[in-house]
Amino acid sequence: MVQYNFKKITVVPTGKDFVDIILSRTQRQTPTVVHKGYAIARIRQFYMRKVKYTQSNFHEKLSTIIEEFPRLGDIHPFYGDLLHVLYNKDHYKLALGQINTARNLIGKISKDYVKLLKYGDSLYRCKALKVAALGRMCTVIKRVGPSLAYLEQIRQHMARLPSIDPNTRTILICGYPNVGKSSFINKITRADVDVQPYAFTTKSLFVGHTDYKYLRYQVIDTPGILDRPFEDRNIIEMCSITALAHLRAAVLFFLDISGTCGYSIQQQAALFHSIKSLFMNKPLIIVCNKTDLQPFDNLSEEDKKLVMEMKAEAMKTVIGQGGEAANDEGVLLTMSTLTEEGVIAVKNTACERLLDQRVEQKMKSKKLNDCLNRFHVAMPKPRDQIDRPPCIPQAVLEARTKQAKETAEKEKRMLERDLENENGGAGVYSASLKKHYILANDDWKEDIIPEILDGHNVADYIDPDILERLEELEREEGLRQEQEEDYDFEMDGAELTPEQQADLALIRKKKSLLIQEHRVKKSTQESRPTIPRKFDKDRQYNSERMGRQLKMLGMDPSKAVDRVRSKSRGRKRERSLDGVDTMDVDDDTPNKKHRLMSRSRSRSKSRPPNEVIPGEGLKDPIQKSKAIKLAKSSVKKRNKDARRGEGDRQIPTIRPKHLSTGKRGIGKTQRR
Amino acid sequence: MCKRLVARANKLPLRSTTPRGLQFENNCEIGVFSKLTNAYCLVAIGGSENFYSTFEAELADVIPVVKTSIGGTRIIGRLCAGNKNGLLLPHTTTDQELQHIRNALPDTVVVQRIDERLSALGNCIACNDHVALTHTDLDKETEEMIADVLGVEVFRQTIAGNILVGSYCSFTNRGGLVHPHTSIEDLDELSTLLQVPLVAGTVNRGSEVIAAGLIVNDWTAFCGSDTTATELSVIESVFKLREAQPSAIVDEMRKSLVDSYV
Repeated sequence: MVQYNFKKITVVPTGKDFVDIILSRTQRQTPTVVHKGYAIARIRQFYMRKVKYTQSNFHEKLSTIIEEFPRLGDIHPFYGDLLHVLYNKDHYKLALGQINTARNLIGKISKDYVKLLKYGDSLYRCKALKVAALGRMCTVIKRVGPSLAYLEQIRQHMARLPSIDPNTRTILICGYPNVGKSSFINKITRADVDVQPYAFTTKSLFVGHTDYKYLRYQVIDTPGILDRPFEDRNIIEMCSITALAHLRAAVLFFLDISGTCGYSIQQQAALFHSIKSLFMNKPLIIVCNKTDLQPFDNLSEEDKKLVMEMKAEAMKTVIGQGGEAANDEGVLLTMSTLTEEGVIAVKNTACERLLDQRVEQKMKSKKLNDCLNRFHVAMPKPRDQIDRPPCIPQAVLEARTKQAKETAEKEKRMLERDLENENGGAGVYSASLKKHYILANDDWKEDIIPEILDGHNVADYIDPDILERLEELEREEGLRQEQEEDYDFEMDGAELTPEQQADLALIRKKKSLLIQEHRVKKSTQESRPTIPRKFDKDRQYNSERMGRQLKMLGMDPSKAVDRVRSKSRGRKRERSLDGVDTMDVDDDTPNKKHRLMSRSRSRSKSRPPNEVIPGEGLKDPIQKSKAIKLAKSSVKKRNKDARRGEGDRQIPTIRPKHLSTGKRGIGKTQRR
Repeated sequence: MCKRLVARANKLPLRSTTPRGLQFENNCEIGVFSKLTNAYCLVAIGGSENFYSTFEAELADVIPVVKTSIGGTRIIGRLCAGNKNGLLLPHTTTDQELQHIRNALPDTVVVQRIDERLSALGNCIACNDHVALTHTDLDKETEEMIADVLGVEVFRQTIAGNILVGSYCSFTNRGGLVHPHTSIEDLDELSTLLQVPLVAGTVNRGSEVIAAGLIVNDWTAFCGSDTTATELSVIESVFKLREAQPSAIVDEMRKSLVDSYV
């Protein structure tokens, strides 16, 4: 459905502002630096871009204006006519037409100058062409300045129009000025229309909303209408006429029967008859207002006759709708907006008649079939004998009866919300979740239950029937104990015969042997120097045995045994052993070497330069020292000349000058 | 005392209770954040107590109103299913939440956590105290569990072609509201299954996810604050709140309904 909201039209700037906006945007958003030394193609391209960019901006802005303003032909005829009445259709169309022409002209100018720029042979000429192009575009805009100003005014006015939905349920109030139309709308809606004791207080349409039978009705208050030829009517009256002509609404024709509005009943009747063509096919109600000043029954015979004539006319609308002619209630109503007598009756009658008419029309439409299921209440057919009663707690029923008796004095419950407000408001107050627990003992409420205990999830071990089970277990145990007392059986060595005892001893011995053997196997699992298995099937060649045998041969076995035993390998240990050996050998020749050696024992020793490290690719220390010698001699000359070698520290060029000086073109950042 | 929490209807002189909008942190899908049955009411833990207190004011005299999360989330209405007999929780519920709910609910309500692949039980199960409609793909074990814990007859059904029965309908022991596209034949069939009057309708200004916008038990209903007056009156009639009767929908409200739907 079309939404009629004219508040969202963008602001139309004045001619001068328009030019400023566009030119500054061109300046900001296109490149600004060009040199005469550039290739001519580049200079041309630079200026062409400016011209094209300006044109596209103009085009975009003008297009939004043209698109956002409603086209009088396309919108609902009510709004079409209302805009025509307020702003004059011709003038409006002319203004938009001028904007459109300006858009086309600017397009043409841009095209021409871009073509000319292709032939520009210097920076100066190209620039001159660009200036000319932008200048001509701005002149075009300046020329449509008045149209822009006019459109801006219209935009501001349209934004203030009431948002009337022409298709919804509408009640339209019309009549002579000062008959109480605005007072009525103020009574039934919250519109708050200005009410004053002079004619034409209401100068435009006003909208209010009211509810009747779950539906929302739009009530439109119109300015008063005078009885005069159509051409003589002013803009204010024409608003009312437009609304009457185009809105499918229930019409309330207000009649001031007291005549305090300054017009006699006769004059008002004349107006009714002159605009009755506008009431065709609409539920029409004649409302006699101000009965507080002049009761309807006290009217003179002539006036009553006039009113009855109007009523007869109004009855025709009922007949036109296909209603019964005899049903004349709800066509002529009396009320007083001052005393509020009959106001609600008028509103209800209007709403009811409008609803009847709309429903009648809608029942004929095809769309009804899609919604049929929503007017259907499926009542259950009994399928079995089970009774399925509702479950309403007794407390609710009691409260309901109590409430019916004494609605006034009902003690207010202290709500969490109140507590929250007292204790610092949302975000500060934090309510306890445990407050309303239903437990056997109220003291348990705030108990802390551990989630994890000794690395186990406590909830996994919670068993609701734990007490029952415990009881059951205890019962079982008691049962078993009784049985055991009855039949006392024990497994004991004392019960065995001597043969059985011997067997048992054998079994145990064998078992311990197996365990021992297994332990032995386990202890040699690491890679220790051992005698190969094929020579030592029974694992009998161990160091103890070797020591024993050496001793038998009359030798001291301690060193040999020591060496055979497994050791953790490490350089340090090895070295100190070496030192001991050396000391043993060279005990009596203390020299410098020896001193060094002895001192080195406390220090870590670096590897000699010619020691071969596996993976280096050298065969032996000789080859290695040869290689070292060669390497040294190869750098000898260079070092002597103090030349730069590969081992020297080198700082590469961090900011190459050719990349960080000079101006940037339109190209990439890393190229200049 | 069947009060309703209602949207912004500002000039309805017929209303006896003060109309109040119900939103959860500016969200009208209140059925997502709460669960209401005849024996208890679960409410999500929110930033302020407003939402909770609305329920508290109406219900706390009669049934426990419990603040809880399920699996650390606030969408509890969509995750659990229950009636006055029991409450089914998804496998995502933590032990602490389970214990909290058990502590807060009366012992007559059986609280059970079930291992079901479709863990949004609220979307998959719709039930009153006697009958349940379920998603067609629920496990056999789950179905048995529903029957045992909730004490209901279980029917695998769809609503207007939607398998998420829990989302697209809402019913009590007195009446029910279903997805607006449910055909008349389907309505009659469902009504016979459930043994309550049913109406196709919307909540929250035309939303078809009924259970998200409306939570209801046998004597109270709460709906999202976007709900229109027409929707409210349909809800009131079909759930027989405030002595209204479902027949009102076809009698006095018919004209209003025709004018607003067509």
